[in-house]
Order: sequence, then structure tokens, then C-alpha cells
Amino acid sequence: MMFAGMAIALFVRPLQRALLLGVGTLVVGVSLNLLFSVSRILSLPAIQPVFALHASWEIYFRADGLGLYFLLVITTVAIPTAISTHSYLQHYLHKQSATRAFLATFSILLLSTQLLVLADHAIAFLIFWELMTLTAYLGMLLEREKTEVQKGSFIYFTATHAATFSLYIFFFILYQHTGSWNFSDFHFTVENGLPFYAACFFGFIGFGIKAGFMPFHFWLPWAHPIAPTVLSAFFSGILIKTGIYGLFRMIEFCSPLPDWMGIMILGISLFSAIFGVWYALAQHDIKKLLAYHSIENIGIIGIGIGLGILGISYSIQSLMWLGFGGALFHTFNHAIFKSLLFLGSGIIYHNFHTREIDHMGGIVHRAPVFVALFLIGSIAISGIPPLNGFMSEFLIFKGFFESASILGHYFPLFMLLMTVGLAFVGGLALACFTKINSIMFLGSERHGSHTFAVSIADYCALGMLAMLCIFLGVYPQSLLGIISSVITFNRWGIHVQPYSMFAQWDVMTLVFGSVLVTITLLILWKTINKWQRVSPAWGCGYPHQVPRMQYTASSYADEINNIASTLLHREKIVTPPTTIFPAVSRFRSHAEDFSDEQFVKPMYAYILKKITSVEFLSRTDIRFYILFMLIVVLMYGGIAIVWTYF
Amino acid sequence: MDILLSFQGLLPFFFIIGISPLLVGLINKQKALLTGRIGAPVWQPYYDLLRLSRKETIYATTASFISRLAPVVSFAAILISSLMLPIGYVRPLLSFNGDIIVFAYLLGLARFFQILGAMDIGSSFEGMGAAREATFAVFAEPIYFFTLGSLAFITGYTSIYDIYHSIHLDNPTSIVFIIVSSISAFFLMVTECSRMPIDDPTTHLELTMIHEVMILDNSGIDLFLYQYSSYIKLMVYAVYEASFFNPFSMQNHWLGFSVFLIVLVLLSTLVAWVETMIARFKMKSIPQYLLFATAIGILNLLIYTFVRH
Repeated sequence: MMFAGMAIALFVRPLQRALLLGVGTLVVGVSLNLLFSVSRILSLPAIQPVFALHASWEIYFRADGLGLYFLLVITTVAIPTAISTHSYLQHYLHKQSATRAFLATFSILLLSTQLLVLADHAIAFLIFWELMTLTAYLGMLLEREKTEVQKGSFIYFTATHAATFSLYIFFFILYQHTGSWNFSDFHFTVENGLPFYAACFFGFIGFGIKAGFMPFHFWLPWAHPIAPTVLSAFFSGILIKTGIYGLFRMIEFCSPLPDWMGIMILGISLFSAIFGVWYALAQHDIKKLLAYHSIENIGIIGIGIGLGILGISYSIQSLMWLGFGGALFHTFNHAIFKSLLFLGSGIIYHNFHTREIDHMGGIVHRAPVFVALFLIGSIAISGIPPLNGFMSEFLIFKGFFESASILGHYFPLFMLLMTVGLAFVGGLALACFTKINSIMFLGSERHGSHTFAVSIADYCALGMLAMLCIFLGVYPQSLLGIISSVITFNRWGIHVQPYSMFAQWDVMTLVFGSVLVTITLLILWKTINKWQRVSPAWGCGYPHQVPRMQYTASSYADEINNIASTLLHREKIVTPPTTIFPAVSRFRSHAEDFSDEQFVKPMYAYILKKITSVEFLSRTDIRFYILFMLIVVLMYGGIAIVWTYF
Repeated sequence: MDILLSFQGLLPFFFIIGISPLLVGLINKQKALLTGRIGAPVWQPYYDLLRLSRKETIYATTASFISRLAPVVSFAAILISSLMLPIGYVRPLLSFNGDIIVFAYLLGLARFFQILGAMDIGSSFEGMGAAREATFAVFAEPIYFFTLGSLAFITGYTSIYDIYHSIHLDNPTSIVFIIVSSISAFFLMVTECSRMPIDDPTTHLELTMIHEVMILDNSGIDLFLYQYSSYIKLMVYAVYEASFFNPFSMQNHWLGFSVFLIVLVLLSTLVAWVETMIARFKMKSIPQYLLFATAIGILNLLIYTFVRH
């Protein structure tokens, strides 16, 4: 189906029909995979999971719980994303070949990502990994004539290749140890000593770069803003989740991980979460802001994974369940609401032709339904009940309490700090999402009046995602059952732990149900009440209110950001009004990422210096090259002779 | 029996929503007496609510559906969160493992919509209030988790009812926890309910306020919902504070309930006294004040760790 989609994208004319057909094929193909994954998960233990595409090939696929769960995540997000691609590409119809190329690479991207999570062979995994990375890179080049696109996609390219490089080392170490490329055979324990730690290290670096843990997150804020929005949605919803998938696999291979690794991952994740959301608060480019929020949410997922690792190393069943269950649930949730938000930001971008939050405003008067859908995504991502983001955070919170009460020792203090950290992240996320919602949507328009068009396909895509957010928030039992069977049938040796053990989910459904009922009743009461009137807002005696006087994103977040100005490397450039008749006064604020300044740039400079130190070897004369080749051949020959004879 | 139990569980809820305007009236009356005025009768908040609910609701021309939705959502969230609080020995209707987290985040839902409702008009006064509310909320949430959260870690329960009921008077460390927690809970109450050193609920000078400036453009039913929810919120935090003195109800229900009432009255006196004696802080120094309260919360757990080892 994906190949058919690609072929249609490339060859069917005219372009309009190619788009419709291509997207249609993709949606059908992905939906079939969704059905496949759901049906397989529901009948999980009964099925022999390993299968090969062809008997003579040694590349196996395995539909085990973890793979199927991530397939479920991918396909659930891929359907609305693919639907939205149709209306997104309408804006690029004038660029015939670029549009076709984008659709084709997007098909391959979908295919390779889905195969990636099913691969049971390290080489196959790496091939699909590479295919996914490269097609994503090609897809980013839809607007390749812009310099920022070139720069951002190059940063993405180098970062992800650094990830792939360490993954090669990771898998080589595993191969060296087990003598097999199959995932089923990989097994490593602490007793293996140094190779074990090396594998963990490289695995974490590789998957961590892809997932975007701090300080490896530097590519995200560069790559997301410049990528076509459907691709950003795919990036945040799915691509970085493959890093999480890899981490889960790593935990499966290298099991049991020692407890200090769990604590370390907890620390790194909390750091990512807090600083991710704090940087997000300082941004006023909508896509960059959402990119930083991905880092925050990856941090929250990582906290869950860290708790699960603690559970493994102390062999506490309930903690494994809460940690890994929370991480898996949050993975799904984040995939849903983040792609909802990114698709929404793409629609805004195409209507306003800017990503600057401060230039927008008043959208709610033109497209209230769109705003309501975006708002649902925002509430979900802030981790506020009754939507799904809260439910996964709830599991993780429960994990903190569980680990503290079981492990004892210094854990209560540590876990209290984690709890407070996560609550702090929640508070900052609330500040951030009230900021973008109110500045972008509410009030009156800041720059003239715009029409705001949202296509029906977009409404479908956003509506699907928003419905999922509400459904999983009020009735999380549906997905928790699936997660429960996924965790149970894995290699971590968890026996059946019914999810109902950890909370009275029905009571929680009752709570959120009663909130919704109260809201409805009050709204009814308000509509019955006829005493209503519309009149201009009070301007404190000042009659000439203009849209420029409204609060902006920078002024809204200023007080919070001032507290951490030095940490965030935030600079303000202020030109204050001077004389009685002030001429021009300006204010600009800008937040620099610490990792760009202190981690990435020095590292790149170092690598560049090392590379340029052998620059003397590069000559224009071809005879030098022949000489070098000869020397190398002789060296190898010499070594071979010495090796065989002595 | 089951119906009787759930009816019993509703008692704290009715108590909270019924008494909450009286608590505000009590505070206002005592404040008036302390500053040498006679002041409005203690029933005044009830009259205010009644008046507001009959008034016409006016919406700004720039207002959208958010303005119409926000008061409703924030009222509903606070109302439901008050269903989780125990009074005395009575188990509240909604009590389950992990309700301390749901409680905190339901108040977050209320705050989210209140901020959006304030920003909906596009007026910069309300923007100012909303920005401040968001800022201080960031620091107030850690205080909540440092007080009730640390008690949850100490007692091993994650339900508000169970936490309060595991505090025993015969345990000497419990008394330390009661004192330490009630100090930081008082700080939290002052912050969350926009009382004096943080916010001034009586002035109407926009530049100095947080909560009052956010509801500047609301009227009629909307203002009724906002005012009532702020009364309930104050009551909720007062109950949260007064429940630390719950152990008395272990011995005798009526004694426990009278202790509870006395603590509520004392609390209103304390709030009134603080508001009379202390001027509002500078906006810049509020985060420091909140961090101080956070530090008290940490103290709780440090005591616990040292006592146990």
C-alpha cells in the first residue's frame, strides 16, 4: 500500500488527483496496519510472534507486545497526519516536483517506521532506522530554497547520524557478545562487566539523541520549525518515539539494569522536563515552542522508564507496572496531542504566514471550532484532567509514592523531590499553554484582519485526535488493558498485574464525569438566563483601545522567565523611550539554548579542529592521492604478513 | 447502608459550600473591627452572591465562547474538588488512592480556564493579572506537594482522608508534622486564595492585584460563579489546614468537630490579623516568600528521615 502510495505520488497526473489518491492509499494502508496491531495485541499470548517476509531471507520480523504497541501508536497518529497531508500540500501545488517528492518520501517514511518497530534483526532494524532518518531528512527539504531550512535540516542530519553511529556500536557490542543479530537472542547482564556498561552507554546516547533527552535535544528546536508541519507532527508524534522504543528494547536486552542507572535516568529526565518546558516558555515561535514541549514530554516518559528500571533492579512488580505503564501510556498520549497541536500550528502558519505568536490574535472570532480543538490539545498536554495527559502523569505520580513506600531508605526524600519537580513542570506547562492559547487565539487581531480557512480534511484530522484525547482521559481503562497485556508478555518477567490494582479508575471516571455534568448543567442554567448583553470592554477610562496594547507572549512569560534569566541565557534588548516626544522605542527578547552554546558548538568546533589538522593531506595533485593509497595498501599488506607469520 | 454512607459522604461537601461565604464574612468583619470600623454584617457575602445571581451578565465585544465557558469550568472544578475533602471523621464521597494528585490538578483545571477567561477580552489589565497568577501558581504547586505530598510519603497513603487519619496524637513526631505542615499550608492558602501579603482582595487598583483584576470584565452570573468559587476555594484550603488538627476526632466525634470549628474561626482571625498588620509584598519578592514556604515543606521530610534512622 505504501509503495502504491509512492508510485501514485510520482506518476499519476494531474497533481491534484495524485494527492487525493496517494493520501487515500496511505490512509487505507495505515488503517489496515492499525487493525492488525489491535487484533494481534488482543490475542497476544496465543500467537507465535516471529515471522519472516520470505523463507530464504534471514531477516525476521516479530510481532511482540512492545512492537505491536508502538505500531499502534504510529498508525493511530499516522492516519490523521496523512489526512492532513492532503490539505497541507494544497499550498505547494505550484511546486510540482517538490510536492510529488514529498508525498513519495512520506510514504516511505511511514512504511519504514512501521517496519522498524516490528524488526527482529539488528541489521534490519538499522536499515529501517536509516531509511526513516533519510526519508525524514528528504521530506524536510520541501522548501529547500530557504536558508533556515537548509541549516535546520543539516543539524537534524548530523545529529541523527551521530545517533546512528552509536547505535552501530551498540549493536556490534551485542553481536560480539551473543553471536547473533536476532533480538530474541540478545541478552546481557551486569556480570558481563565493561561491555555491558559500554552497550548501555552507547544505546542510551543513540536512542537518547533520537528521543531528544537533554542535553542531546539540540536538533529538535532547529529541525521542527523548518520541517513541513505534517512532518513536524510526525517527528514529534512518532519519530522521537522510536527513540523511546529503542530504550525499551535496550532495557529488554540489558536486563536487569542496576538501580543507579534508573536513578540517573530519572535525574536526566526530570532535568529534560523542567528545562524543556522552561525554554518553551521563553519562545515566541510557535513550532519551536512545541519542539521544546516535546523535550519536556520525553522527559516525563523518561521518568516513567526510570521508575520501571528501579522496579526491575529491585524486582518490584507494581513499580515496573506503574513506571513502564506510565511511560507507554504517556508515549501514546503525547503522540496524540502533540500531533494535534503541530497540525494546528501548520494551519495557523498557512493562514498568517508567520510562526511568530506575537503577530497573531483573535483567531477565536473566525474559527471557534478550530480553537476549541487546539484548546483540547493544550489542556491535554498541560496534564490537566479530565484529558489523557493527566492520566499518564497520574500513573507516574503513583509510581513515586509506590517506590517511596516500598523501597524506604532515602527514597522518600528523593521521590518527594521528583514529585515536586513534576508538579513544577505541570505548573510551567500550564503557564506556557495559557500563554500560547491566549496570545494566538483570544483578544483582537494584532495585524489587520485575516481570513482564517480550515479545510474539512483538517477538521477531520484534528477532530479525531481531540476525540481520542477526551476518550482516553475519561475512560483510560480501554488503553490500560492493552498496556497491561503488553507489559505482561514481555521479557521483564512481570506476571499479570491488573491495572485496576493501582487506582479506582471507575471512581476517577466518576469524578471527571461529574465535572463534565456540572459544566453542562451550569451552561444550561446560563443559556436559560435571558439577562445578557454585549458591550465594549472597560478601558480604564481610556477610549482608544488598539490591539497593540494587548499583552504579548513575551510580556506574559516575562515574570517567570526573569526568575531564571541567567539559567536560560535570555537576553533583552531594550531601547527605552527617552525624551518628552519619544522617537522610537523597542523591546526584543531572545532565549539562547544552553546546550547550543556550551555543549554542541564547542563539540563541533573541536571536531572541526581535529579534522582541519589533517588538512595538509588534501592536495590538488592527483599523484599525492595515489601515493597515499599505495602507502595504505602496503601498510595493510605488511600487517597481514606479520599477522599470518607470527 | 450504601446510600446512607454516600449521603454521609456528601455532608462535608454541603458543609463546605454552605459555610464558605460565612468564613469570608467572618474575615471581613474581624478586619473591620481590627481597623476600628463596624463593618458589614457577617452575612454580607450571601447577600452579595444573591445580588450577583440576579444581575444582568454583560460580555465585552471582544469576548468569545471562552469568556462564557471559563467561569463555569472553574466553578465546576472547584466544586468537585471540594467533594474530596474530609471533615472530622466523615469519609468524603470521592475518596480513592491518589486523590491528592487529582485534587491538585482539578484546581489546575480551574486556574487554566480562569486565566484563559481573563485573557479573552484582550485587555492588558487582565493580562497583567493572568501573567501573575500563572507565575505564582508555578511556585504554589510545589508547596502543595511539599506539604500534603510529604505527609503522603511519610504515612504511605495517597488519599487525603487516609493521610489525615493516620496522624495520631500519641506519636510525638505527628505533632511536629502538624505544626510544620500547618505553617506551610497557611502560606499556601494565602497564595492560592489571593489573600493579603500576596494579593489584596479589597483594593481595585489594577496594578497591584492578581485575582481581582482577572475578573474585571465579568458580571452577573459569571461574577457570581467566580466569587462563589473563590469563597469555596478559601474554605477548601481552610478545611485542608484545619484537618491537621483532626486527631481529636479520633477520640470523640463531637470534640473533633468542635476543635475543627474553633480552628476555622481562629484561622479567620489569623487571616484578618495578618491582613491588618502586614502590607502587601512587592511583586518581585513574592517568589522568595513562596520559596520560603517550600523550604518549610522540605523540613517536614528531613525530620521524618532523621527520626526514622
